[in-house]
Amino acid sequence: MKLAGGYNVSIKGRPSNDVEVLPEPQVLQLPLQSRFLNFSNVRVEEGQHVRLGEVLAKDPDHFAIPLLAPRAGTVRLAAAENHIVLEDVSRADHEPYDSFEETEHIPENLGSVGIKRYKLLQLGAWQFFRNAETGGPVDPFGTPTAVIVSTVHFEPYVARGDVQMQKRLRAFTRGLEHLQTLLEYQQIYLALPEVHSSLALKVRDMIRGYAWAKPVGIPFRYPFDSPALLVRRLGLKPTAENPVWALPTEGVLALDRALTLSQPCTVRIVAVGGPAVRKPVHVKAMPGYPLKDLLAGRLVDGPTRTLAGGALTGGEVTETQLGLDTECQGLTVLQESTRRELFGFMRPGSDRRSYSKCFLSSLRGQFWESYTTALRGEGRPCIACGECMSVCPARISPSIIHKYLYQDELEQAQRLRVDLCVECGLCSYVCPSKIDLRAEFIDSKQDIERELQTQEPSE
Amino acid sequence: MKWLEDALAKARPLFEGGGRFRAFKPLFDAMENFMLSPSTPTARAPHIRDPLDVKRYMSMVIIGLLPCLLASFYFFGWRMLAMIVVSYAAGGAVEVAFAVLRKEEINEGFLVTGLLFPLILPPALPLWMVGVGVAFGVLVGKELFGGTGRNLFNPALVGRCFLALGYPKAMSSDWISPVLAWPGRLGEYATDTVTSATPLAAAKNGEWARLGDLLLGNVSGSAGETSALAALVGGVVLVAVGVANWRTVVAMLIGFIALTAGVFGGSVNIVVWHCLAGGLLFGAFFMATDPVTSPMTNGGKWIYGLLIGVVTALIRNFTGYVEGVMFAILLGNIFAPVLDEIFIAVHVRRLNREG
Repeated sequence: MKLAGGYNVSIKGRPSNDVEVLPEPQVLQLPLQSRFLNFSNVRVEEGQHVRLGEVLAKDPDHFAIPLLAPRAGTVRLAAAENHIVLEDVSRADHEPYDSFEETEHIPENLGSVGIKRYKLLQLGAWQFFRNAETGGPVDPFGTPTAVIVSTVHFEPYVARGDVQMQKRLRAFTRGLEHLQTLLEYQQIYLALPEVHSSLALKVRDMIRGYAWAKPVGIPFRYPFDSPALLVRRLGLKPTAENPVWALPTEGVLALDRALTLSQPCTVRIVAVGGPAVRKPVHVKAMPGYPLKDLLAGRLVDGPTRTLAGGALTGGEVTETQLGLDTECQGLTVLQESTRRELFGFMRPGSDRRSYSKCFLSSLRGQFWESYTTALRGEGRPCIACGECMSVCPARISPSIIHKYLYQDELEQAQRLRVDLCVECGLCSYVCPSKIDLRAEFIDSKQDIERELQTQEPSE
Repeated sequence: MKWLEDALAKARPLFEGGGRFRAFKPLFDAMENFMLSPSTPTARAPHIRDPLDVKRYMSMVIIGLLPCLLASFYFFGWRMLAMIVVSYAAGGAVEVAFAVLRKEEINEGFLVTGLLFPLILPPALPLWMVGVGVAFGVLVGKELFGGTGRNLFNPALVGRCFLALGYPKAMSSDWISPVLAWPGRLGEYATDTVTSATPLAAAKNGEWARLGDLLLGNVSGSAGETSALAALVGGVVLVAVGVANWRTVVAMLIGFIALTAGVFGGSVNIVVWHCLAGGLLFGAFFMATDPVTSPMTNGGKWIYGLLIGVVTALIRNFTGYVEGVMFAILLGNIFAPVLDEIFIAVHVRRLNREG
């Protein structure tokens, strides 16, 4: 598959390469639910004192992936709904968490590879291993078809791999070596930006000798970094039993930490960016860090909307979520839309970035626009302008699939391969009729999945 | 702008809930959003959106039509303005009526249809015919199919087709010969000098108009199509901003030129003459490229364009009609969904092969 479509949205508020270390928190508010994980099996009691790295809860539906205590503290279960709150948080009684065996008994017949993977699971590094196609967690004892390690994140704005890696290059390559020992013969693909950054060159240099790691250059355009897209581009043929694993930069670092130091991965580097952030930056924070404290003093005045993730795929952080969740790679903050313009659609638009060439700005060079949450138009029926077809990186035909979904013809959407959608959100972004194509496709994929499941027993 | 927002806020209750004019809510909304861009927020991801909306998109077509519009004022007088007003009034009335009935928003599409329609009519056509034609076109060509975006045929061409079949005499004789010398007909409303021969009709009798006249528009014909230069300038703008798809335009011209060259034994003069005559360029840039009624797939666009070009040449040279662009495009519209089906099937097969 050749890469087609894609588009870089130039939204103001790109986080700088600086990593700001946040002050130690007094309280941690750990959400039990995040995008894919649901830590419904709570393993601690009210008032219990936990050490750093202890298991607070597990996700019973996803291979018992644990939620670890990022700091020592006292557990409060009833303090906030759907959260485990840690009070009197401290690093004081920090002790090396080398006794991961003691918490659970190790399943028998694991072998050395199995023990390593079990260790990763217990030390919280396994949650970074994802199914490249769906983004969901993968079985720690399964066998992948291949592994894609991605150091590039183009979406505005999530934490960038180069920033996460910049002082830990040694740990990163060591992590890759560890990763290789977890596999039998499967290929590791290392996605690197196709630009001559010194970091990319260094990484290329370091893996030159490794036959099992193959560098893949990614053109600098969103969403060519998408693991789902890379699976197809590399011609990999994953199955339900043998998926392709995707591992981000921080996953490799967590893996190194777990296997080299036997320490849990608790602190992460996340991005805080977007037009409503005064000084966009990367921050070092741990899951459960109160969002209020994290964002305090960083935002511009007026109503804002915080997204968990980037501006194109991130969902709104609701008021009920108090702390940073374990899957969050970045916070993008937008100003709420309030401004109305007189004859807005007739303006030349030299200050408006557009995928189309219908604004004067297309004669202008690169600039960053202050996007708000405005829909910037009214919902209309599809006019078949073809913008979505040309921007779609998966090369499906969003407008045609929409036409069928509008008529409730799910089978036709299936025939047109809506399943290949990588959910990048660009079709919704460019649509002049403001149709929520991405949301529509996600819903229809779930409907198709459900229908297939109900059909199977009868066959 | 605060005063305008306040005034609108004050008037809004009349159109909402139990207000006296609640039936006309679509009209109020359309007026409001025309003047002030809406501030509706996004509901689901992505939470940021491109500034392009349908209003802007349709505005681009109107900008592209400006050269033809100005040329029609220059050559045929201010009566053109009356035709446009009638066209907008009648077409808009049907559009608003259906929006009110369906309780849906008023669509910007009629702003384009309402302007295109008078430009493809003979400039001396009675005003009532303009109104009847556009009302028929919008009603039958668009609203009965479910409104903008769901129509099979170009509404303006449906309206013109209706007039051509219902009032053949007026539609084939109400031409005005233009005035090239400055200030053209800018000083007059209309003229009584009604001539009957368009260049294509005259050519059938062996009288070939000069190429220069065709290029500038110093010939009789439909109001907006006479000046090939104006159509080219506006059309190129429309292609450059990406609203008109270049594939359709290029394919249509290739199809037309190839067949015309075949018929006339490759005589360059005659081929160029035919390209500039009649509504070919206007049709290629402004009518065939209507995204709703042309195929969505790129392959479909090529075939669709070729088909229209070839059929236009066939009608011009081998039938009793002197001009064939209208019928050719309507025929192309019929084929558009089928072409899409074929090219989608091919594309899906390729996707499946990639796994």
